[in-house]
Amino acid sequence: MFNKILIANRGEIARRIMRTCQEFKIKTAAIYSDADKDAFYLQEADEIYNIGPANPLKSYLNIEAIIAAVKKAGADAVHPGYGFLSENYSFAEAVVSSGVTWIGPPPDVMRAIESKCYCREIASRVNVPIIPGTIAPLGSLDELHKVIAEIGLPVFLKLDKGGGGKGIEVIQDMAQIRDVWERVLRVGMVAFGSTDCYLETQIINPRHIEVQFLSDNSGKCICLGERECSTQRKHQKIIEESLSPVVEEKERRSLYEYTRKLVVAMGYEGAGTIEFLRSDKGEFHFMEVNARLQVEHPVTEFLTGIDIVKSQLEVAAGENLSMNQEDIMLEGHAIEARIYAEDPVSFSPSPGKISKLRFPEIDSRHLRIDHAIEEGSSVSPYYDPLIAKVIVWDATRMKAIRRLEEALTAFKVEGIKTTIPLNLQILASKEYREGDFNTSLIEKLFKEEHKTV
Amino acid sequence: MEATISANIPGLVGRVIVSEGDQVSKGQTIAVINCMKTELAVISEHDGKVKQVLAKEWDEMDVGSPMIILELNEVE
Repeated sequence: MFNKILIANRGEIARRIMRTCQEFKIKTAAIYSDADKDAFYLQEADEIYNIGPANPLKSYLNIEAIIAAVKKAGADAVHPGYGFLSENYSFAEAVVSSGVTWIGPPPDVMRAIESKCYCREIASRVNVPIIPGTIAPLGSLDELHKVIAEIGLPVFLKLDKGGGGKGIEVIQDMAQIRDVWERVLRVGMVAFGSTDCYLETQIINPRHIEVQFLSDNSGKCICLGERECSTQRKHQKIIEESLSPVVEEKERRSLYEYTRKLVVAMGYEGAGTIEFLRSDKGEFHFMEVNARLQVEHPVTEFLTGIDIVKSQLEVAAGENLSMNQEDIMLEGHAIEARIYAEDPVSFSPSPGKISKLRFPEIDSRHLRIDHAIEEGSSVSPYYDPLIAKVIVWDATRMKAIRRLEEALTAFKVEGIKTTIPLNLQILASKEYREGDFNTSLIEKLFKEEHKTV
Repeated sequence: MEATISANIPGLVGRVIVSEGDQVSKGQTIAVINCMKTELAVISEHDGKVKQVLAKEWDEMDVGSPMIILELNEVE
């Protein structure tokens, strides 16, 4: 195992990773930007290294500065968390070529799967259903017209190397084709350095369902149930749960089969997630691979009792996974509510000082809160608005919903606005309680609310 | 008469859209601030000519940080 791990991230996820390291007596080195210099969680690290100013391009996205910190710390491994450089193969390569272990999939695998067309090609080769559309990047506007004539509208035009919701546009009618094409190419050029793009038909009223997997270098791949992530605002998840209220055992077996085929074909090692879209007819389509630890991983940890970060460390250290698929128990129900520092109606950001903070009472069997905030601390305007994740487990879905409602009601944050009222509104809705929802749930709830006013 | 247009939200300057000498009107977006990964517009509250641009891309802004000085149009 490792002696010292540098955590190339900040906030709640840095703290989460430190916790597992501490459990296994691994020293931790944390990095921080000037904006985070007073963050209390840094005291939980064995060593801390300043890597630059508030601007993330000059700190948390600054490969050179982070590699310098890795060397200074004498760390023997780097955990990238999620976001920032976690899926950046240049960073992974820089870590490896400094003689340090990268806690994540092999850099060459990361480089390959960054291309969504490559992933679609692999999926179709191993008979995993993909969202209908094109596989090879589109060559020209003419080709785009031709494909649309064949498959019809509406379609999504997506950048092969896009991400974070950028470089995706819907085409509703023929007159838009040229404008959308030019716009997407421009975003590709400016933001991603690649103008390759492809088409996908629009899945109507989709549910977003994903499979968490662990794989090691012996070729073993274990699936840890599925997560239902359809509750989203601004195309970002806000409530996740496991298991999904709509996936039946037979479908779960197919999703596991798809996941294993993809993992083997990609040569992936470590923890990862395969995202699927489920149509309102119940058909699953492979969407993309997330080559990192995900924000919502605690839902799976609570359901299965497995520490995913620990498994990541073991695989990165060259050990084989100690468990088998039949050891994975999916008992009860886990739900996570993400709390964002945002106005719960307009979703506009709400950074600032937390003047008062009261957490609900933690109970290691039923309630977990992952966060990096304290009373009197400030939520920075420079980084992600996620301030806390409240995760509950109980024997049934309804009990878990009630437990989450209790926890969110007892969670008091003053000084900034948070999405707690929105989280509660979702949980109280008939659609959510009955498990009958898709990715447009929040939009629908807002519309209904306006009707009654 | 001059007026200063200041940041209405903290964050990093994403872009400054106007340059010195530009004529701007009330309601026009003059800059974009990136706050918590969301881009928010900074709007001019006056009609006028840009006298000086104080903020540049990636500058750190607090609420009230001056961004642009306008030479106000004379009221006819």
